[in-house]
Amino acid sequence: MKRALTITGVLAGLAFACIVYRQEPDTYAWQLPEGYPPPFVPADNPMRASRVALGRWLFYDTRLSGNGTMSCATCHLQSLAFTDGRATSLGSTGMVHPRNAMSLVNAAYASRLTWANPLLARLEDQALTPLLGDRPVEMGMGGREAEIGALLASEENYRTLARSAFPDDEDPFSLLNAIRAIAAFVRSIVSYDSPYDRYLAGDLGALSSSAEKGMDLFFSERLECFHCHGGFNFTDSTTHANTTVEQVGFHNNGLYNLEASGAYPADNTGLFDMTGQERDMGRFKAPSLRNVALTAPYMHDGSIATLDEVLLHYARGGRLITEGPYAGDGRLSPFKSEFVNGFELSDEERTNLLDFLAALTDESVLTNERWTDPFVR
Amino acid sequence: MGAAKWARRPASGFLIFALCVAACTPNHVPVNLEFVVTWQGQPLRCNETGIRLTDLRFYVSSVTLIDSNGIEHGLEMSEDGLWQHSGIALVDLENGEAACVNGSPAMNSQVSGTTTAAGFSGLRFVLGVPFDLNHANPLTAQPPLDDAAMHWHWRSGYKFLRAGVATESDGFWLHLGSTGCEGTVQNISGCRSPNRVLVELSGFSPTTDRIEIDLAALFPDVDLNDGRRGDCSSGPAEASCAEPFRALGLEFGNNTAASPPGSQGVFRVRR
Repeated sequence: MKRALTITGVLAGLAFACIVYRQEPDTYAWQLPEGYPPPFVPADNPMRASRVALGRWLFYDTRLSGNGTMSCATCHLQSLAFTDGRATSLGSTGMVHPRNAMSLVNAAYASRLTWANPLLARLEDQALTPLLGDRPVEMGMGGREAEIGALLASEENYRTLARSAFPDDEDPFSLLNAIRAIAAFVRSIVSYDSPYDRYLAGDLGALSSSAEKGMDLFFSERLECFHCHGGFNFTDSTTHANTTVEQVGFHNNGLYNLEASGAYPADNTGLFDMTGQERDMGRFKAPSLRNVALTAPYMHDGSIATLDEVLLHYARGGRLITEGPYAGDGRLSPFKSEFVNGFELSDEERTNLLDFLAALTDESVLTNERWTDPFVR
Repeated sequence: MGAAKWARRPASGFLIFALCVAACTPNHVPVNLEFVVTWQGQPLRCNETGIRLTDLRFYVSSVTLIDSNGIEHGLEMSEDGLWQHSGIALVDLENGEAACVNGSPAMNSQVSGTTTAAGFSGLRFVLGVPFDLNHANPLTAQPPLDDAAMHWHWRSGYKFLRAGVATESDGFWLHLGSTGCEGTVQNISGCRSPNRVLVELSGFSPTTDRIEIDLAALFPDVDLNDGRRGDCSSGPAEASCAEPFRALGLEFGNNTAASPPGSQGVFRVRR
């Protein structure tokens, strides 16, 4: 009898343990198609549906700017594949950022974040700069960071979300947790439903014959696009959960050649700004080309208006600026990538390439309710 | 953090007194270092006509006092939970008012602790945060290393020094910190330009002297009347950094070690 009771007790305990265990993994369903690797996730910020939910509210909350005028979404609009359509972005206090807002789609797969920072490998580290930075001021919360934790504690919606997202924290209302949640939300914005993806999955009708020809051109040694824009995310700076060797690439694509010295404009020297090494002048990350048809204007400074002009730039093997402060022939830059050599391209081939690049657009990203503004009901 | 500092600072004097009752044996002599900001030797404030302060905050570490025999005595910095931790102190000489609008109301002009001797005639300290603590996560750091305004998220590490001056229509500011760092944020292996400044002041006595920071010496070539606002973010290619770096005794662009002792001319003894 006593033994039976003990066994019952053990079983009850096990059942209880199972319930607790089953509740514990508040995991995140990536909804990735077969064969695509899940993104790398830092051990100290595991993906949780609850964290993504909290991050979604914070991403769209203008109270995360010093003067209440902008949120993360101001420069990262879902309708433009999370870019802002501007050549260079505008901060909350009116300061012009020297660089173009990058798409956040598949940022989870970026081995390095932003245009030319070799140090930024995690969204959690990157998010601090737009929030708190002062050169330029973006969201303008520098020196006011305590207000972000206070915001989480200030209203029922955030209190509930934060307690659920960080159940082990006695006081979950912190800047650290806000950053983790925003990073989790941005990490959740993944895209694999373009016509190109459907084509790869066996739907051969998903690409037009023109786009198919464009694909062959894109992956040809003649044009060399894929050397920098290769892999499933169309950039050589890609990482994921199963990565064994880290890939990080920065390239000078011949946009500028000031005074024939190879120099770039002073506020946009690329990797050189971080390293001070001459060889790094004008080296920027090759951005992912997913949804590229929606992310005009192009380049780190938004200095090329259309994709067609981008193709002409690469066909020439560098940009010629004939007058003004940025005059110079980028084709002759001593720091230019070995893959930017120029090529002949017929009008028909240009159309083929543009059709292929348009086939990298995942329309579902633009409307998917997982990433819409929760303040709009 | 700002508000908490403001509220709690008045208690620190009492705290030091209380600690002294318990610990001020001859081997624990209290030492207070007092900092003051000037422009060409004249006091500089945020609220001023003409040249005014816009920012002055900096980290002080590895503080050593030198006695009359030339023997060095390290300052055992007290822990106050706000301005001093782990041998690092944040000095903040702006009050967030007027031209210092981007600053914080809390101020701290002192670095305090104890030494094992008395009767000093020299001072040495590092302007900067030691490498190990410089590249840890600022969101989990203890005060004063939790101050986001002092952290350089995109370069990794802290702004060792934020300093700025302005006139009605002109201005210049400097952010000094390590550059050319390698690795990734929170996993930095080293920095080509550490940009830590070794300050050595001979003839300094903490009982009679203060430490003056003369911003006119930091910005010797800045014309504050030409209407061209300037700045230096320690970038290796920023021409505007050349003079401030020289004034701090730092090589510009290719620095590999702390500056040679005493070569800076910005920090001075003020009687």
